[in-house]
Amino acid sequence: MISFDRVSLEYQPERFALRDVSFILEPGSFTYLTGHSGAGKSSLLKLIACLERPTTGEIYAGNIRYSQLRKRQVPALRQQMGIIFQDNQLLNDRCVFDNVAFPLIIGGYKFVDIEKRVNAALKKVGLSDKAFDEPLSLSGGEQQRVGIARAVVARPKILLADEPTGNLDSQISAEIMQLLMQFNASGVTVLIATHDEGLLNTFNFPRLILKQGQLVQSDEQQRTVIAGGAVRSSSVASHRRNKDSV
Amino acid sequence: MNTNAKSDDEQSGHRLRAPGSKWQYTKRGYALSQSLKQFNRYKMASTVTLIVLGITLALPVILLFTSSALQQLGTRSLEGESLTAYLKNDVSDLQGAEIAQLWMGKPGIQTTRYISKDEALQLFRQNSDIGDAISVLGRNPLPGAVIVFPDTNTLSSARLDTLVAQLSGLDSVARIQLDLRWVKRLKSVVSLIQLVGGLLAGFLTLTALLVIGNTIRLELLRRRSEMEVANLLGATNSFMNRPILYTGALYGFLGGIVSCLVAVLAFSAIQKPAHELSSLYESSFRLLMPNISQILIVLGVSIVLGFIGALGSLYRPSQQLTYGVPNT
Repeated sequence: MISFDRVSLEYQPERFALRDVSFILEPGSFTYLTGHSGAGKSSLLKLIACLERPTTGEIYAGNIRYSQLRKRQVPALRQQMGIIFQDNQLLNDRCVFDNVAFPLIIGGYKFVDIEKRVNAALKKVGLSDKAFDEPLSLSGGEQQRVGIARAVVARPKILLADEPTGNLDSQISAEIMQLLMQFNASGVTVLIATHDEGLLNTFNFPRLILKQGQLVQSDEQQRTVIAGGAVRSSSVASHRRNKDSV
Repeated sequence: MNTNAKSDDEQSGHRLRAPGSKWQYTKRGYALSQSLKQFNRYKMASTVTLIVLGITLALPVILLFTSSALQQLGTRSLEGESLTAYLKNDVSDLQGAEIAQLWMGKPGIQTTRYISKDEALQLFRQNSDIGDAISVLGRNPLPGAVIVFPDTNTLSSARLDTLVAQLSGLDSVARIQLDLRWVKRLKSVVSLIQLVGGLLAGFLTLTALLVIGNTIRLELLRRRSEMEVANLLGATNSFMNRPILYTGALYGFLGGIVSCLVAVLAFSAIQKPAHELSSLYESSFRLLMPNISQILIVLGVSIVLGFIGALGSLYRPSQQLTYGVPNT
């Protein structure tokens, strides 16, 4: 579970990236984080990944209280998260296999486990036949799938995706979304930052809508700013209902 | 999406094998392999850096290797050297022999030898062109003399002057002749060379540190994206810094090897002329090739230098890195 309790992030005096944001993401939920450019989506993701510290308020990940988190404990927290980027941020000096293996090396996994998990992750994203190719030789969609394989290979509890379909056409975007939904079905909490209306309309999931750093009602029909109120994202069960209706 | 695509290996039930060796998938192995890859990837730049580093370190290394030889020169040249105490004319040979025997027990004196008046005359006749002229005098005008051989500690210190002063003060002694001054001068020159060499070595070592530091800074810029990704994936600072530190140590190690090679080449070139020069002075001085322990010391020190250079360059850039997801 990820919980924001009246979180604000102030870059400069009186200039807020986020203001008084509160919400709860239940374990296994699938949620969109939407809003225009500069609305604070990336700032919110950075706060979850502990790349930024809130100016005020408190963030929880399960039992972990971020304000009490020491600097040396942050890497361990991040290892429990998978992060997917719009530009996938693959390392072009090594093959797909080694890109996917990277989080496992960081995590100090045994060689046997690394081989096993990388195989499983590449199989999951359908790139076993490209395991020894260089990332630059892959298409945009394939590169993004490598990024997803890398994000999930250590079996994180939370998957954060920042515009994962930003540079992809609608068909490839749908494939990426299917993949993310598969991981969500296995119990992973997924939070996707996007302003891709097509994606939002095609795959109907609860939304956290940000506007000028403030959270507005998750329901699209009610665009009321809720300062300090908690918006509960729906659980896995409610996703299923939504998905069935798509 | 090609989710059903499977490699031949998978279809046949085989698992894909990692492209690297097992050790490359451990934290330290990864750091080492990344450092080695970096050398391989930028061969030309790395080679030039290593040559610069090797030449910069070569002079301190040559000084280190020669300092022991110079030290040898300082003490070896003094060995067997002596001072002569000419006794007064009224001191008989018997008294002179007793004095020589007495002095042998003094601190700072290894041994003594008395040269009687007759022996002195005989030596004078043998070695001097005017040896026969002395017969005109009808008597032996030469005094007895005590040859004093100071011990090594006295020879190589200021205690020699004290000894000379002590002997000069004795009633029976007319004059002290000290033939060691040139050796002392040589020793002073050697000390000066060592001091100047030490200072130069210090400056050049600092230069080597700066060369490594600068190289590592460029390396940091090259690795920036990898470090950012690693940070997001939960890498600790030690994981991110380790390849950089290993690269620094590798630069130090390889630079040390280059400097040893340069030093050995320089020694080979100057060994023969140095031997010829020392032969002219009837010296047993030999410029010996560096031994294994000296080479190991150089390699150890250069590894530490590389490590320190890398550590220094890591300090600020790692603070400046702004890891994070791009703004949307």
